[in-house]
Amino acid sequence: MDCREFCDQHLAFVDDTIAGIELVRMQRHLTECESCAKQDAKIRRALLLFRNLPSIEPSANFSDRLEARLKECQTEQLVHSQRNLRLGAVAATLASVLMLGYIGTTLYGHSETPHDLVMPPVVASIPESELMPASGPAMVTSVSAGLTIWPAALFAEQVPVRFAHSQLELANYTR
Amino acid sequence: MADIVRKHVVSVEGQTVRERLQAMDDSAVVTEFLGGEERAFSELVTRYQTRLLNFIYRTIGDREKAEDLVQEVFIRVYRHLHRFDRSKKFSTWAYTIASNLAKNELRNRSRNPLVLFQTVQKNFQDEDRPLQFEDTTSRPDDMYRKRHLREIVEETVAKLPEHHRNVFILRELEGKSYEEIAEITECNLGTVKSRLNRARNSFAEIIAPYVD
Repeated sequence: MDCREFCDQHLAFVDDTIAGIELVRMQRHLTECESCAKQDAKIRRALLLFRNLPSIEPSANFSDRLEARLKECQTEQLVHSQRNLRLGAVAATLASVLMLGYIGTTLYGHSETPHDLVMPPVVASIPESELMPASGPAMVTSVSAGLTIWPAALFAEQVPVRFAHSQLELANYTR
Repeated sequence: MADIVRKHVVSVEGQTVRERLQAMDDSAVVTEFLGGEERAFSELVTRYQTRLLNFIYRTIGDREKAEDLVQEVFIRVYRHLHRFDRSKKFSTWAYTIASNLAKNELRNRSRNPLVLFQTVQKNFQDEDRPLQFEDTTSRPDDMYRKRHLREIVEETVAKLPEHHRNVFILRELEGKSYEEIAEITECNLGTVKSRLNRARNSFAEIIAPYVD
């Protein structure tokens, strides 16, 4: 074992937490190395001095002071818990009032007579009709050619539109 | 007559409870306190007041302040004991609180020169106080030598860097294991060992001229 290794393991050596074989090697190094032996003795002596420092005791009024502070602490905790309790009660009351309000509005809201329905105004508009002119060239040609059935069918088909159209026009004129 | 008998019964009962608490380990005493037995807290105070006082005093070097901080430790323990993880050691928890308070105190002092000055002045005035810890039946020269040596040791400890001093005191004065120190100081095991090794070497180096 060299001095470096000895120094590395010295903490465990002093605290007796070193393994058996290592302990023997450390002890052997102590007998071989004067410098390490001196350092070891120096540390052990210093530690002994420190460990033997007289213990100090709490002053005479320590317990009384602590008791007074603990009583204060108890009072604080009591006040704190009471305040929490009060806040909790207020919060619970508020919540229940809100809940009751909600339930009330839900229940009574359904039993009320329904209001008259207000519908948006209907705006009537005239569809753009693409009526075939009665005197168009196609019509004239077909009539002159003796094909009267086709225009007649066309007119029959367009009658409701023409009728409504004429009625609307009439209404506009009379207004 | 009935009152006297009742008082006697209560005192006997009280004595029994105290004795029972004394026989318990920390964990059981904590359980008793949480179960509503207020006297269990007094038992914890009795067990730890001196140990915590010495630990804090050696860390901050001011006796009066150390007492205040020990009281603060107990107040915090009282307030938060219901939150304490009972799978862990009570002593480690109490020392962690004490260590943090001592650390805060040292930090405040370094930030506030006035507090530092007042502490130095108070310690200076302490020199004139009568001896408290030596055996008064000793010879005066012995008393002087012991007192002088004690002062040197205390000064030497105070010279150690804060994080070294903390570990050093926990190990050498309080006899805590490396693992416990690691938990109290919130460091890993390697750091604890390294700090302790350095603290021991520094302490031995500083004090050697006075001892030889």
